[in-house]
Amino acid sequence: MGSFGERLVGVYESVFKRTWSPMTGGIILAILAIYMEAWQRPWGIVGGLRNWGDWVFYMVGLFDKKPPHILFYSSSVMNLGLLAGAWVSAIIAREFAFRVPPMLEIWKGFFAGILMGVGSTLAYGCNVGGFYSAVQNLAANGFAMMVGLIAGVIVGLKYLYWEMEHFTPGPAGPTFLGNIPPVIGFIGLVGLIVAAYAYTYSNVEDASLMAGYLLIGAGIGFVFHRSRLCMVNAFREPFMTGEAAMGKAIAVSITLGAVGVAILKYAGLRDTSLFVVSSFWWGSLLGGFIFGTGMVVAGGCGSGSLWRVAEGQIKLWVVMITFALTNSLMRHWFGENHWMSKLGKAVYLPDTFGYGGSIFLVIAAMLVWYIVIDWNEESNKLVIEM
Amino acid sequence: MSDIKKAPEGITANKTLDAKGLSCPMPLLRTKKEIEKIKAGEILEVLGTDPGSRNDIPGWCARSGHEYLGEKEDAGFIRFYVKKK
Repeated sequence: MGSFGERLVGVYESVFKRTWSPMTGGIILAILAIYMEAWQRPWGIVGGLRNWGDWVFYMVGLFDKKPPHILFYSSSVMNLGLLAGAWVSAIIAREFAFRVPPMLEIWKGFFAGILMGVGSTLAYGCNVGGFYSAVQNLAANGFAMMVGLIAGVIVGLKYLYWEMEHFTPGPAGPTFLGNIPPVIGFIGLVGLIVAAYAYTYSNVEDASLMAGYLLIGAGIGFVFHRSRLCMVNAFREPFMTGEAAMGKAIAVSITLGAVGVAILKYAGLRDTSLFVVSSFWWGSLLGGFIFGTGMVVAGGCGSGSLWRVAEGQIKLWVVMITFALTNSLMRHWFGENHWMSKLGKAVYLPDTFGYGGSIFLVIAAMLVWYIVIDWNEESNKLVIEM
Repeated sequence: MSDIKKAPEGITANKTLDAKGLSCPMPLLRTKKEIEKIKAGEILEVLGTDPGSRNDIPGWCARSGHEYLGEKEDAGFIRFYVKKK
């Protein structure tokens, strides 16, 4: 009912203002993850963060080798896109503001970021490259990280319970720049498109590829923020409140994406070795555990930290900085000692189970997870009491 | 997701939890803890700055049986009201 104008306002509000359901976000994320791999390579986050960390250490003279340019390095450009897309969403929805947390939260962010940097080194990626994209790419290491993440999340949650009994956060810092008009967000959107065109007209090698990384990355950031999609929430809530909506959305998202990626790899359009790394099983398991603990204390995983950075949450700025610096330093150290190849084996599931068997395995694992957290939503059997 | 529910005018709370500056999941965890300290039928007010609380607090109320009364925008933060079951 209502006039055309009213309907138009309704559409605008449901797209830009009201929070999307986790399932909507999860399904669109799967589509964008397939777009990203179809464009050139799987979606990842840590590579870009490490690139930024490498630059810091290069500038202070600790690293000798000049890192790739931030604006011409695939994973870095994806991250810039993600930040921009989430920022556009936050501005338009009027949810952007710099929020300075109490000191206790700053310290938590500082140490959680270090744990995430260490975990993502051992697992060759965060919850995205090491788990979400890895499982979609039919890599055994993705499953090992999932097990580690679940164990780590439980430890992280127990820490939060302990902290609540023993600490009271001090006063929060100021909140500012919270009233930027939504039109600025639309100008940002235009800016992204201009930047993408600028890439396609650039003479730098592979520059036109960057246009896709930027725009698909921005789409991912926008979807993440609109649906407040959060893999920490997906893993944590079944143990904290029993809520399963986010976990179900991620399970569906991974399954849908895995089929799309399997098609690209089966058809020979993408190298089967993409995101199949030598961390199965113990590198990914231990890395997942350390990363999982860190992400609960941080209140954001790889992707979740970035979109919260774009929303102005200063705690997650601290997380992003220590996460990037730790990963850069540790990966450098491991690389110098040739340890990265000693974290486990690289196992591409179709080599063992065939494509049919591998997709069956992904579906079975996600279905078990889906059913367990659904059952837990009613029974609360997994919920850890405070 | 549903529209934002506004709290009734002139609502008064029995207890206030200041969760300003805290990010997910601390506002909800502290709300869970604070609600234990009031009696059934009493109202807890939670002050927060995390937009995520707009989903988390009503969602948790629906699951736990407490009544979500709505929110009020204040200068740079939001007041959420929960009536204990």
